[in-house]
Amino acid sequence: MTFLHRIGEFVREQMLAVPLPVVRGLFLATLLGLLIWVWSLPKSVTTPPGGAKRWDENLKFGATLALVIQIVIYSVF
Amino acid sequence: MILAETNQLAFADLAVIAAYLLGTIGLGLYIGRKMKTGTDFFLAGRQLPWWAIGMSLVATDIGGTDIIGVGGAAYKHGLAVANFEWIGCVPAMIVASFIFIPFLYRTGVFTIPEYLERRYNATVRSIVASCWLIFMACNLGIMLLASSKMMSPLLNIEVAYCIWATAGLVGFYTCVGGLAAVVYTDVIQCAVMIAGCLMVLVLGLSRVGGWDGLQERLAAAEAQQVEQQSPDSGIDGQSADANTTELSHPIEHTQLILPADTKTPFPWPAIYFGLALILSPAYWIGNQAIVQRSLGARSEFEAKASYVWGALLKNVIPLIIAIPGLIALAMFPGMKDGDQAFPRLVNELLPIGLRGLFVAAFLAALMSSIDSYLNSASTIVSNDLYKRFMNPAATDEKLLSIGRFTTGGLVAWAVMFAFLLTRMNEDSGIYAIFQTLMAFFQGPVLAVLLTGMLWRRATGAAAIVALICGIATSMSLYALNQESVYTYLGIAPLFQISEPFLYFSVWAFLVSLSLVIVCSLFTLPEKEEKSDLVVSWRSKS
Repeated sequence: MTFLHRIGEFVREQMLAVPLPVVRGLFLATLLGLLIWVWSLPKSVTTPPGGAKRWDENLKFGATLALVIQIVIYSVF
Repeated sequence: MILAETNQLAFADLAVIAAYLLGTIGLGLYIGRKMKTGTDFFLAGRQLPWWAIGMSLVATDIGGTDIIGVGGAAYKHGLAVANFEWIGCVPAMIVASFIFIPFLYRTGVFTIPEYLERRYNATVRSIVASCWLIFMACNLGIMLLASSKMMSPLLNIEVAYCIWATAGLVGFYTCVGGLAAVVYTDVIQCAVMIAGCLMVLVLGLSRVGGWDGLQERLAAAEAQQVEQQSPDSGIDGQSADANTTELSHPIEHTQLILPADTKTPFPWPAIYFGLALILSPAYWIGNQAIVQRSLGARSEFEAKASYVWGALLKNVIPLIIAIPGLIALAMFPGMKDGDQAFPRLVNELLPIGLRGLFVAAFLAALMSSIDSYLNSASTIVSNDLYKRFMNPAATDEKLLSIGRFTTGGLVAWAVMFAFLLTRMNEDSGIYAIFQTLMAFFQGPVLAVLLTGMLWRRATGAAAIVALICGIATSMSLYALNQESVYTYLGIAPLFQISEPFLYFSVWAFLVSLSLVIVCSLFTLPEKEEKSDLVVSWRSKS
């Protein structure tokens, strides 16, 4: 067994020790973290110059919808 | 041949296909009439609307081989393949839309390598441009051949004629209309692709009794599969131990997250660390064929909006290309070749007349990927090689001619390479090598690009070292995992899953990232005008 094999085996054992519900939590936490980040963005970053005239011109809503769908998908499957 | 079973096309089918092809050519010609400069050709005159770019992003990402391949992988391994479209796309697209795409748009560059020269130096630009060009040029030939092999039995035309026809058609409208033609034809192609695959999904679900019926049938199919693999059955002469290992993880066809020791190519560490954190950002932030269309947006806001719209559409894609693979498993369990899943479903579900729409959807998926890589490869040759090294004083009008000439040249090369591949043995590994090629350099390029955009202290010398060592790392890992190599060296393979390209990218990224950080700290800082080319974190509100 080479040095590279030993590193690989160590990493593999660590990954195997993580229970799947925790992994699901990791996936969901990543998506939730991203969602919180999107909502924390200033309006100037998510709307056209001069501000949004309609609610759907604020990109926060589109990004939120995309991420919420992801959160639902990774919660169910 | 993959789609051979769907070749009973009626006149109505052929009429739908002909209407689609004529519409595509007509649109390309119409757009080409307005083409005046290189900026028009490469960036559509920066006049593209967000909705068209978003649909084009999705169409480019999904090729015809993906429709067949993803359906086949879902049949064999289950829903986990959908990770490539969900966690492997949506988060990276959202981050890119608010940080990296607007930043690149503001720099006014034509290509990612151009940004890398402004931030680092000409060597970094040349290395990255060469990697992309080699990959795109080879991939064009592969996509052309793969497309033609699928079209040949479908239309009852020889593969050689299909190669010429596809190259001629796609080459024509890309050459005439540039990026605008590519994006607007992609819009049609995206709509046709979604409509065609949605039809298969709806008819398939109604045939198996809805979602509940599908789950019941999948459970039965899994039980049958487990029974066949039980130690008592002694299939294929496998040892009891091997079967026990397999049985400890019965195939979970409706699970997205699979254990680290799954026998499928989708263990969760590869999906999370390799796909979601590395390959996906590398693709959506650093892939010239993808980023180029958002650089052609009408405004910075529309560039951002295009990525958000693309992310929303991406949520739908696995439903229409992966779920049909599961429906095929429920309807036809026990097929040996998973890639037959989608075609068999089409043959079984779609009445004559509607098959034409699916074939048009399939052609749309094939063409939308080829045209994008053709246009982007031409942009790199014209801007990163011709203008940068051969004729820095080239006018915008001159660049238009060079862009068209290069597109023609690339079409000729792709045809030649496709014919060369037809002479090679399909088992020679050439296909697998080129499919893995992108994983070789995407990790290192992402490390250099991210540090360049986010860290003022990153230097050009460090970027060169990181790129070379990162690419060498992924290539070495690939080589060490080849049976002939590890057998010769008398060692075990490094990775225990098939197709471990996601792991190559993780290690190559980590090596490159470490090197760019360490070497930057040991080299002199870049001049201010270079180190100022980083993302500003100051709030604009």
